[in-house]
Amino acid sequence: MTMIGGFFLSSLSIGWMDGSYGSIIMFFTNNRTGQIQVHHKGYLEDPSIYSTIGGYQTVGAFLDSIPEVRVWAPRIYSGALLAVRPRGAGSGNVFSNSAAASVIGIDPAMEEAATDFSDRIVNGEMLTASAADTSYAAAGQIILGRELSIILDASVGDSLVMLSQAADGSSADRKYVIRGIVSSGNADIDRNTCYITLSDAQILFALQGKVHEIAVMTHSLGRVDELTGEISAGLSGKDLETDSWKTFAKEFYNGMKADEVQLKIMIFVIVLVAAMGVLNTILMMVLERRREFGVMKALGTRPGFIVRMVVLEANIMGAISVIAGAILSTSGLLFLSKHGLVMDPPLNYGGTVFREMIASITPECYWIPAICVFITASTVSFLPALKAAHTKAAKTLRAV
Amino acid sequence: MTDIDVIVAEGVVKTYDDSGVPVHAVRGIDYTLSKGEFTAIIGPSGSGKTTFLNVLAGLDTPTEGKVWLSGKLISDMSGKELSDFRRDHIGFIFQAYNLFPVLTVEENVEYVMLLQGILSVERHDRVMNILEKVGIAEYAGRLPMQLSGGQQQRAAVARAMVSRPSLVIADEPTANLDSKTSGALLDMMRQLNEDTGMTFLFSTHDEIVMRRARKIVIIRDGKIDGKASSEEI
Ligand SMILES: Nc1ncnc2c1ncn2[C@@H]1O[C@H](COP(=O)(O)OP(=O)(O)O)[C@@H](O)[C@H]1O
Ligand SMILES: [Mg+2]
Repeated sequence: MTMIGGFFLSSLSIGWMDGSYGSIIMFFTNNRTGQIQVHHKGYLEDPSIYSTIGGYQTVGAFLDSIPEVRVWAPRIYSGALLAVRPRGAGSGNVFSNSAAASVIGIDPAMEEAATDFSDRIVNGEMLTASAADTSYAAAGQIILGRELSIILDASVGDSLVMLSQAADGSSADRKYVIRGIVSSGNADIDRNTCYITLSDAQILFALQGKVHEIAVMTHSLGRVDELTGEISAGLSGKDLETDSWKTFAKEFYNGMKADEVQLKIMIFVIVLVAAMGVLNTILMMVLERRREFGVMKALGTRPGFIVRMVVLEANIMGAISVIAGAILSTSGLLFLSKHGLVMDPPLNYGGTVFREMIASITPECYWIPAICVFITASTVSFLPALKAAHTKAAKTLRAV
Repeated sequence: MTDIDVIVAEGVVKTYDDSGVPVHAVRGIDYTLSKGEFTAIIGPSGSGKTTFLNVLAGLDTPTEGKVWLSGKLISDMSGKELSDFRRDHIGFIFQAYNLFPVLTVEENVEYVMLLQGILSVERHDRVMNILEKVGIAEYAGRLPMQLSGGQQQRAAVARAMVSRPSLVIADEPTANLDSKTSGALLDMMRQLNEDTGMTFLFSTHDEIVMRRARKIVIIRDGKIDGKASSEEI
């Protein structure tokens, strides 16, 4: 029973850990940051508009040559003041609703491939190529974060004016039509972020051919560290730096790690408690069958044979509990992978809120607890097995 | 000592001292058991019969004295050697039958041969053969608890003899049986002794059993107090 319970709980926890944490990390990184980022040296500490990656297409071509890189997305970051003409204010040039915002220049197609950007557009549409991509004089398209659109009291189709400064010191002002409203799941970000196309941003901020960041999406979380090293080595000498999400999303990473350590401790405690239970069960079994072991000894059974027999029996018990536990935990995991567990209060990792945690069914959910069960069964049964093997036949056979 | 001596015991003393108060269960016995004997050790309860048999079989170590089994000094044997020696040379019959409750009669009888590494076909033949001889072949597939006491003890006799040991030791084999069943069991054992020449040493305080022994050794207060042949009783 204890073995079944132990298997069940640890299997569930592992599925939980793998599923939830893995998917939260993937969700977090895939939706925004990527698992790896390339910047100009020092950009992370001091994100200045001048700290750019020149010739980013070359870097991109290098990234494309690495099979483990799924996609990459170039970005420009700057700040601006946005002003909207209030609805019903007539036709005068009164742009009285205003807010400061960070402006992110994105390549619509690449961003879409990297982060499924349009999935999070709650109103309107994704950015497309427009005249503003080539001409400074034309009006551009802009997407606002949802909270920002509320502050500005602006909706799709409205016009706004952006006031900023370009990298060459000139003023960067342009008229925009709101193309969409986006909700990223992080209200803090949506309160102060707007998006324009990369080409637009390059013209507006006088950053032709340059970007601030390249976000890299990989195929698997497990190899991110190696891949970061690989990219870093490939880009050496370019005055760039390559970091994994563990560095550029430190707060998020530390939050995850603290939780994961907690869960691992929990699993360890489960295994320990289960092991004590198993030890107890097997000791009882040996004690109950003392007479039987006494008879075996009298009939000339070698002590080693009895040791092997008891350890084998414990492992058979283990195998049975693995099967029973697997059935139990599969149903549990299936449930958790479909319905998830609603988190109340919601978990908050570095500003991103997760209301529901979902488990995933991976081979690890089974083989790790299974190995634990067999190792525990073997080690824990060894002492009782020795006890059984050294049963004194003369003594036990006397006690009728 | 000659090679027809199955057991030779010299100055055997056994003193239990578990509880702090020494109990002198066996107080110096010299004894020789020859091949083919069918001998009963008799004496009142507490006289030291079980203790003496356990020492002779190497299940317990004597406080003093020496025991040779088929010419080998058992105090010279390692635990493993002693296990193997018992497996190959001594059959046991216990008062409480002590068949393995989860094994069938056939599997119980097979057990020692399994330890000896005898092939399955031969095991099966020998099991059926001995079960025939003890008269319970039809119960081969049953569990011990599905048999009567007498039938269980017959299965135990089969288990003790099937590996063809040089010696069968039985400690009060009939103590849990009624007199009629006891008599029949002893008759059967004696028949097997005559047919196979196997040596039997058993303890009892049951007259029905004594009467069927060919030799009798009387133990009183841990000492041999006389010997007799069956005719003298
Ligand atoms: N483990 C033991 N510890 C102390 N005394 C024992 C132990 N086993 C047997 N005795 C004592 O040794 C004596 C001989 O016992 P036993 O050999 O069983 O005699 P029998 O089989 O003739 O009845 C008895 O007094 C018994 O109480
Ligand atoms: Mg006795």
